[in-house]
Amino acid sequence: MKTVLSRRAGASLALATLLATALPRAGGASARNATDAGSFVTTLAQDAIDQLAAPNLSEGERDTRFRKLFLDGFDVPLIARFVLGRYWRQATEAERAEYLRLFDELVVQTYARRFNEFNTARLRVLSVSRPNEDNDVIVAVEGSVASKPPVRLDVRVRRGSSAYKVIDVSIEGVSMAVTQRDEFSSVIQRGGGKVEALLASLRGKVGAR
Amino acid sequence: MPSETRLAGPRQWLAFAARGCAILALGALAACSTANAPAGDAAANDPIEPFNRYIFEVNRFGDEFVGKPLATIYRQTVPDPARNSVANAVSNLRLPWTAVNDVLQGQFGRAGDAIARFGLNSTFGVLGLFDMAKDNGYPHHDEDFGQTLATWGFGGDPYLMLPIFGPSSPRDTVGLVADRFLDPVTIVALDGDITSRGNAFTWTRTGVAFVSGRERTLEGIAELERGQDYYAAVRSAYRQRRASDIRNEDSDATIGPRFRFGVDTD
Repeated sequence: MKTVLSRRAGASLALATLLATALPRAGGASARNATDAGSFVTTLAQDAIDQLAAPNLSEGERDTRFRKLFLDGFDVPLIARFVLGRYWRQATEAERAEYLRLFDELVVQTYARRFNEFNTARLRVLSVSRPNEDNDVIVAVEGSVASKPPVRLDVRVRRGSSAYKVIDVSIEGVSMAVTQRDEFSSVIQRGGGKVEALLASLRGKVGAR
Repeated sequence: MPSETRLAGPRQWLAFAARGCAILALGALAACSTANAPAGDAAANDPIEPFNRYIFEVNRFGDEFVGKPLATIYRQTVPDPARNSVANAVSNLRLPWTAVNDVLQGQFGRAGDAIARFGLNSTFGVLGLFDMAKDNGYPHHDEDFGQTLATWGFGGDPYLMLPIFGPSSPRDTVGLVADRFLDPVTIVALDGDITSRGNAFTWTRTGVAFVSGRERTLEGIAELERGQDYYAAVRSAYRQRRASDIRNEDSDATIGPRFRFGVDTD
């Protein structure tokens, strides 16, 4: 059990770590003129620190800022579609619309929670590469919190029409998007292959805030 | 899902599965007997899912009443740096077996790293409590026999939920057995009598490793638990993590996630 569990240890530093990290200043580069994926990621993380680490921020204000940063830096609609996998095609227009709305709410909640737990982490970029046969750039970073062992994060970045966006984060080899896709797919299959089964589950989660 | 490289042909796999059946208990037997049954979901490769889910719930119950409370008490009573040293010591004791597996995988450079780490950390690092080697060019890595079997061509299907030990596969179950009996540290500790029930040292090591490992995964597992389907999330995360370990992503930052992030077109 020891090995199994420690293998999943990385999951304890979810994506929020990335946003939460105090990075060495990248020469004051801002998100607007970031010219490569690596600096895009470091800038995004630094912006998160600058905007969210203020001690006297009200909870409501922090949520609002987090949501804006997150939706600007991440291609949430694309992630949502990837996560729904083959069921996207099967879903009706109404189901898609509701799914996108619920997913949006779900990821913001999830990541905001993680962010609050790991707002003291440090990030170090290990490499920037394109290991797959596509244009996605993987920024490998090492995140460490206090005296805990460092955690390897692979941030997948895709250049859209105007800017880079994060589309996935793998923590110690476990992709958040793939995990969620497998999970959603299981919910749908167990619900008789109906997208509605997933929507019902998400409504419960998101609504139970 | 990032496809784990499967070099094994069906025949090799069956030969392996047959061997696994001979060695293993109930869970593996069940897996073997149903391995050729049509799978409900090919991607999940979990032909005995109802049975696995049942074991998963039993494990979850145990975790709720033993694992999680122990890990929580450990976190509350032992300060951060001490817990980190405990984790270092646990990880240090795995290094000889890691080195053996490196050799079995043909990774001689990594075997050297593991031995150097073990030497440095066991001496200057005070019985492994401090990771001196990391700062001297020997970063941490960890191998087990399941990974070695994977590099020899054995695939990681079907999924298998073991009582107590958790997520696994026939391959990784054989790996676990080898990890238990062939680990040089265990062999030395038991004075060569590997079939013994263990002694104070081996049981303490196992217990400490379990509590330390569980403490470090409290948040991560809670996050998986919070989702829509805990069982499916653990299955997915376990498989991805194994694939990543088998690729040795720890040694090279440019070996990233190997899958295309594609979406179906409308």
